[in-house]
Amino acid sequence: MPATQEISDVRIHDYIKRAVCDVFKTMVGTEAVLVKGPDEAAAEPWPPQHTATTPAKPQVVGTVGFIGDVNGLIYLYLDLEFARICTCHLLGMTESELATHGDEVVNDAIAELTNMTVGVFKNSLCDTGFPCKLTIPSILRGSSFRIVPTGTATRHVFHFDCRGHRLVTDILMKFAD
Amino acid sequence: MRYKILTVDDSKTVRIIVRKAFKAYDCEILEAGNGVEGLAIAAKAMPDLILLDVTMPVMDGVEMLTKLKADAALKAIPVMMLTAEGGRDNVLKIAKIGVRDYVVKPFKEEALLEKAGRIIDLKPLSEAPAKVKSIFDPADILVVEDKPAIVQQIQEGLRHNPWKVNGVSTQGEAIDYCARTPPDLVIVSLSLPDDTAFGLFRLLRTNPKSKYTPIFALVVKTELSQQQQAQTLGFSAIVTKPLDLVELESKMAKAMNLDTSQRYYSLEPDVLIIRLPENCTPSVLAESSSYMKHKFSAAVDGGISKTVIDIHALKTLHIGVIKLLFQAMQVCNELGMQFALIGNPQVIAECKGFEDTRAWAFFDSVDEAKASFGKAQQPAQLAGT
Repeated sequence: MPATQEISDVRIHDYIKRAVCDVFKTMVGTEAVLVKGPDEAAAEPWPPQHTATTPAKPQVVGTVGFIGDVNGLIYLYLDLEFARICTCHLLGMTESELATHGDEVVNDAIAELTNMTVGVFKNSLCDTGFPCKLTIPSILRGSSFRIVPTGTATRHVFHFDCRGHRLVTDILMKFAD
Repeated sequence: MRYKILTVDDSKTVRIIVRKAFKAYDCEILEAGNGVEGLAIAAKAMPDLILLDVTMPVMDGVEMLTKLKADAALKAIPVMMLTAEGGRDNVLKIAKIGVRDYVVKPFKEEALLEKAGRIIDLKPLSEAPAKVKSIFDPADILVVEDKPAIVQQIQEGLRHNPWKVNGVSTQGEAIDYCARTPPDLVIVSLSLPDDTAFGLFRLLRTNPKSKYTPIFALVVKTELSQQQQAQTLGFSAIVTKPLDLVELESKMAKAMNLDTSQRYYSLEPDVLIIRLPENCTPSVLAESSSYMKHKFSAAVDGGISKTVIDIHALKTLHIGVIKLLFQAMQVCNELGMQFALIGNPQVIAECKGFEDTRAWAFFDSVDEAKASFGKAQQPAQLAGT
């Protein structure tokens, strides 16, 4: 069944907006405001690439998939500075305490934020008749890279603003066979 | 008693958040990164609550929960799911395996604490060291006994303590009582019909709120097989009928971890007073003796150099009492403290009958004993040295 065809763009928009706002408000104590939907986001490929005048910002990217009647993968992009702020808030640490713990703590915190965000999104899919399960999170780090989906996947990119930091969700959903 | 909470989650972040959430409460947090580790720690530590994630490597939460519920020794441990898996159908499927509650991520720490608090009795961890409960503090005692005369005997016998002794006659009433106001100690009669007492014991032990409550078995002295069964099952103490209320009170104080030293020792501004009660059973003597070193140290630290040993309430003198008195006198001599004895005619007469105590001299009151200090010589000290 071509399941993803039955999930309208409006629903995807609502589900991801609710997921990001809910997770960041509850766990990080910050309002996330949707600033760009897929149409506007297409004009601004993410993450920004390194240029002669503007160095690329280091990114921490969490990834969690969902498999079942609908399959997909969501990338959550945070610049490193914001990733560190979120980690401090989540774990109740100061920046200097975090500095003593290393990158692994930040990776784990962003992986969990991604897990929660994709969890809320996926639960909405389940409750509208598309049962699926979460996969284990993973983390990418880099400053000048671009993810290119296969041609059979649909893509929805949303930009959020959190305290002046850009948070981007890149949703890839594949048509079921 | 500290509760143990096991958090099973592959995310270190979640485990840290859980640890942070419960930091202000008197509980120990154990951690596992997957279901295999979770089962191993659960079997070893027997936690009072498990917080369980679903999506984990090696063994996921659903498999761990299924194995836990299939294990007779572990199935009673309450499990609360803490997971991003919140789809209606999945939640229902997991709930059917047997969970006490379900928290969907993202979550507020307050919500987690509120739900955990419904399963275990979370007590805030005060910053100052906890005050040791004393024999003069109130306590709530539940007696489960279908013979009103026994309940009344216990109530009468313990009346001099600030303890509230309540009697119920059935298992149902006992369960209701414990759910309403968890008592500090439960006494269950083994003569309740149909082995109700053993069933009640098991129910109280599987309930996290009464898991660590001392439970005494009340049994007729000649019913040895019942006593054996109660011991095997793990009752905190066996109390036999006919009741020895002094022994019962002593066992209860010990089981509730009460400081009973104030019964025997009091520190006044210039003098340490040691008092022995009317009936000095072996357990009373042992209890009194166990505090002696500490009380003398406290007296010396407080600049006190005089001791009054008051045995005027004592009914009869016996070798156990004499040994304890010699022990106290010896400590006084070692510390260079003056001491004086207060007695009653019966005890004074009995002292004349023993070679070692014949020379002891007594005063009639604390004031008289205090007044004797500073005078040239103390008669009792002659005997003690």
